[in-house]
Amino acid sequence: MEQIIKAVDVYKSYHKEPVLKGLNLTVTKGQIVGLLGPNGAGKTTTIRLLNGVIGLDKGQLEVFGLNPEKSGDKIRSLCGVLTESAGLYPHLSGEQNLAFFGELYGVEKKEVRYELLKDFGLLEHKDKKVGSYSTGMKKRLGIAKALLANPELLFLDEPTTGLDPEGARDLLGYIERLNKDKGVTILICTHILKQIEELCHRFLFLDQGRIIEEGTLEEIEAKYLKEFLVRVETDVSVSKIPTSFQLITHTPGKLTFKLSNKSDIPILLRLLLEKGSVYSSEILGRDLETMYFKIREAGR
Amino acid sequence: MNIRAIKAITKKDLSSVTSNVQIILPIIIVPLIFCVVFPAILILISRFSDLNQATNLEPILKILEKLPEESSLAKDLATFTDLNQKLIFLFFNYFFAPMFLLIPIMGASLVAANSFAGEKERRTLESLLFAPVDIFSLFLGKVLAAFILAMGLAIGGFILYGLTINILGYPLFNRAIFPQSNWLVLLFWVIPSFSFLAILFNVAVSAKVKGFQEANQMSVFVVLPIIFLLISQILGAFIIDTKFLWLLGGGGLFISVIVLWRMIGHFDRNRLFESQIF
Repeated sequence: MEQIIKAVDVYKSYHKEPVLKGLNLTVTKGQIVGLLGPNGAGKTTTIRLLNGVIGLDKGQLEVFGLNPEKSGDKIRSLCGVLTESAGLYPHLSGEQNLAFFGELYGVEKKEVRYELLKDFGLLEHKDKKVGSYSTGMKKRLGIAKALLANPELLFLDEPTTGLDPEGARDLLGYIERLNKDKGVTILICTHILKQIEELCHRFLFLDQGRIIEEGTLEEIEAKYLKEFLVRVETDVSVSKIPTSFQLITHTPGKLTFKLSNKSDIPILLRLLLEKGSVYSSEILGRDLETMYFKIREAGR
Repeated sequence: MNIRAIKAITKKDLSSVTSNVQIILPIIIVPLIFCVVFPAILILISRFSDLNQATNLEPILKILEKLPEESSLAKDLATFTDLNQKLIFLFFNYFFAPMFLLIPIMGASLVAANSFAGEKERRTLESLLFAPVDIFSLFLGKVLAAFILAMGLAIGGFILYGLTINILGYPLFNRAIFPQSNWLVLLFWVIPSFSFLAILFNVAVSAKVKGFQEANQMSVFVVLPIIFLLISQILGAFIIDTKFLWLLGGGGLFISVIVLWRMIGHFDRNRLFESQIF
């Protein structure tokens, strides 16, 4: 599969303060990749380096097979970027902002901006000055701006901060469609792990300037989930359960087991079904957030 | 070079000037005071009183005596019989010229100082640098915006100034006394050259500093030499004649080219980008 982004042993410091310390990462064409990590881990710096707006100290970078330091303009013309502050002009209206950036990106068609304004629910606000927009509106316009030139690669830095739950859901749905319908490769940096858990194909965990773990959620789970907490909603009474299954908590109708193997789950369920009814079962603590903390813990 | 982007940036920067009260107010008020209010007061005073008695004009009279007889200024002055006429003619056509030079330079400096520093303050420089536009086009777009504004101010100010002097001065002269040929050289040679220099300097400062305030304080350094010029001239060190204006403009242009040449080597996207982070 074609690798659209490749970083090999990249170092970058600002004023002698190291930010990236041997960053290695790859992003495959057509994927949605989540770049996760605490504040100051180097997420934003990575986006800047990949777009060639800052230079690296050491290492190798390739985007579309090009060197961002030498072919920055070519790379930037193929990329859309949503920066954390959205970077819009408050004295211009929403449409004027898109028109201005459209001219910079060589997209001057009115229909393009109207389509985007419509997609992000801003058509009726297009003549209002951006200074009077709410945080969520600015964010949506910022994303519309990032999509102006029909990018092949999209960088989204904290795309959902400032959006209400509805706005965040709409945006994530839009991102998913963009990836499915147009095959746009997307790199998302965020703190809000729950939102992107199901959106991303792969995750990169960045900590202190290095990628400390990467993979699909399943791969990461297989590596870090050493025991399985399974909660079962059932009418089987506790006394009927063999002691070979470790029962952790039980409330009327809900039992939580600790299993050391994923393959033990169907065995347990079959046993319960023999003795009564099972209404639901779920594995606890397998969400992205739990993985995130497990990975960071392991990294220390 | 990306003409489309240059045009877009120039247009956007000009619109940001007109929508910023902090910038547009001094840009409009200062020229009005210099080009209309101040000349009007002076002419009206001279029409109703004798300037020679009002102030000590010894230094100016001394300059007049030193003028070579064949110079065009001396010939012009010889057509006036009244001392008031001579002084008004001299003041508005010659002594005022450096002061007039200040107007476009001040305006251009303000806009140029705001160029990159303003983008940094509004946190828009980042998205500008993420665009596929080469840094030279970006820079040129900003310089052009300040230059258009400077020339607009100069030409607008020139028209207002000319109208004020000629209309209010008509009862005194019975003819238009403004402009003399030196003004065309001033307007289309010295002002463009010095505005360009001031803009380059301010854009460079603007790219280095973090905010508009800081950039604006630095821009004082461009105005200082002109104030020096003004004082030295009033002291009678020299009288501005056309030849001197040609030289002055040429000098300004020469320095601009050197500054520009030095700047192009120093201007790069990475440095500009990092200047906004720290």
